[in-house]
Amino acid sequence: MNSTSQAQPMIDISRVNHVFPGGIHAVMDANLTIEEGSFIAIVGPSGCGKTTLLNLLAGLIPLHDGKILVNGTAPKAGRHDVAYMLARDCLFPWRTALSNVMLGGEFRGVPSDETRQRALALLNQVGLKGFSEHYPKALSHGMRQRVALARTFSLKSPVLLMDEPFGALDAQTKVQLQSVLLELHGSERRTVVFITHDLSEAVTLADRVIVMSPRPGRIIADISIPLPRPRSAKSLQKDPEFHRLYAELWGWLEQAMEEAA
Amino acid sequence: MTSRLMTMPVSASKRSETIADAQKRTERREGLYILGMQLLALGVFFALWELTSQMRWIDPLFIGAPSKIFTFLVNAVTTDHTLFIETGWTLWATFVAFALGSAAGIACGLLFVVYPPVERFFEPMFSALNALPRIALAPLFILWFGLGVTSKVALGFSLTFFIVLNSTVAGARSVDSDWLVLSRMLGANRATMFFKVTLVSAVPTIFSGLRLGLIYALLGVVGGEIIASQHGLGQMLQYLAGTFDTNGVFAVLIVLALLGVGITKLMSMLELYLLRWK
Repeated sequence: MNSTSQAQPMIDISRVNHVFPGGIHAVMDANLTIEEGSFIAIVGPSGCGKTTLLNLLAGLIPLHDGKILVNGTAPKAGRHDVAYMLARDCLFPWRTALSNVMLGGEFRGVPSDETRQRALALLNQVGLKGFSEHYPKALSHGMRQRVALARTFSLKSPVLLMDEPFGALDAQTKVQLQSVLLELHGSERRTVVFITHDLSEAVTLADRVIVMSPRPGRIIADISIPLPRPRSAKSLQKDPEFHRLYAELWGWLEQAMEEAA
Repeated sequence: MTSRLMTMPVSASKRSETIADAQKRTERREGLYILGMQLLALGVFFALWELTSQMRWIDPLFIGAPSKIFTFLVNAVTTDHTLFIETGWTLWATFVAFALGSAAGIACGLLFVVYPPVERFFEPMFSALNALPRIALAPLFILWFGLGVTSKVALGFSLTFFIVLNSTVAGARSVDSDWLVLSRMLGANRATMFFKVTLVSAVPTIFSGLRLGLIYALLGVVGGEIIASQHGLGQMLQYLAGTFDTNGVFAVLIVLALLGVGITKLMSMLELYLLRWK
């Protein structure tokens, strides 16, 4: 499938079900193995349980039925080998951009000099050199999301869980940030689970795209994306293979929607 | 790619700075115009007041006269320093009442947020106390603490405490839940989340309470001084009214208004500095 197929599984999900109080069956019989260093995108219609599955991986929701192993152990919120990025930038308005990026290191007791150097380097890498002392109120939506991206990468966690991080951005900013993410992922290979409802984004970024059905969310397809890396978010738009994969994904989603209807 | 991405925000930032400069200039011009109009309105008001008094359209015993109020104030500053001394007493009592009331209000509010059962226990008692017109406690405080500054501090404290308590609880409870999720995922423990997220995010709301609490501390202290006191502007006000010195009463009222405006302004400046990120 790709270069990571020989690697050890970093995330193992088997027979996972999740029913919320009130009887809403969010995730049904999910089975998934994710290799170390691979980038997995999960797509599916709204309310299909993508975020629930991610929150189960993050340990933010207790697991009642099935088994999940992340880096060999059960999920637990706040563990140092997992980083999490929400759809909103969630920057603390009372902290500067630099101070926001340093947050994880500060919370985890990493020496401040080391955290600071890494935060400055990451801000530079996401295109925010010169904005380190700006407060979030002085940054645009896209710039704030870049800070959030730098904050997520500032932790050297081998697993990144990202919940529609670019979902609220305009098309142009989204492509810019996808490029930044591709660059960051290229330089520091992590295991990424990326939730999105944007099929184009999924094909651009991922090694594999997991398609979920409408609620109760089942994994109905696991599609390999054999596009070579390093990738360019812009040039991929002109790649026929990209469009073929996009159409394949779209076909799966359409089928799932029809079945649900 | 990185360098290209960097140039875009810089040019956008320059453009927004130019727009911000133009907005500031317009605001400054508008501010000066409004200030001019305010001074003019005030001048017309005082002129009409003086005329009414001089022409005896209303007995000056009731309304005094701006010129005599001014003379009273000049005398108070140059020869008789009573006004200064009494202002000092009032300010001191206000400061102590505010400091104690807000410290206790913040501490108690945080305790309520951390341990909700404590809040449920105290809620009926605090609601009843808060609903009680606080000035009604003045005779009791005078009985307990005497005519000195302590009874005035107690009255100011009783007003400031509940205001700051309520704003602290409201601020700490309105913390963005996504911030807490993020902090948890970043590895923050409960104490770190409380002090570095919940508490800091509550500061703007607490500040609104502090600003109001300061004004109410002044109100409580002056109210207490009016009822019975040895010192303070309230006591001076009561004495001047008792001796039919209307000009003196107005002079003290002007000083009190200036004190109120001054301390509010001071709090606003402090807020502007501490909450510069807003």
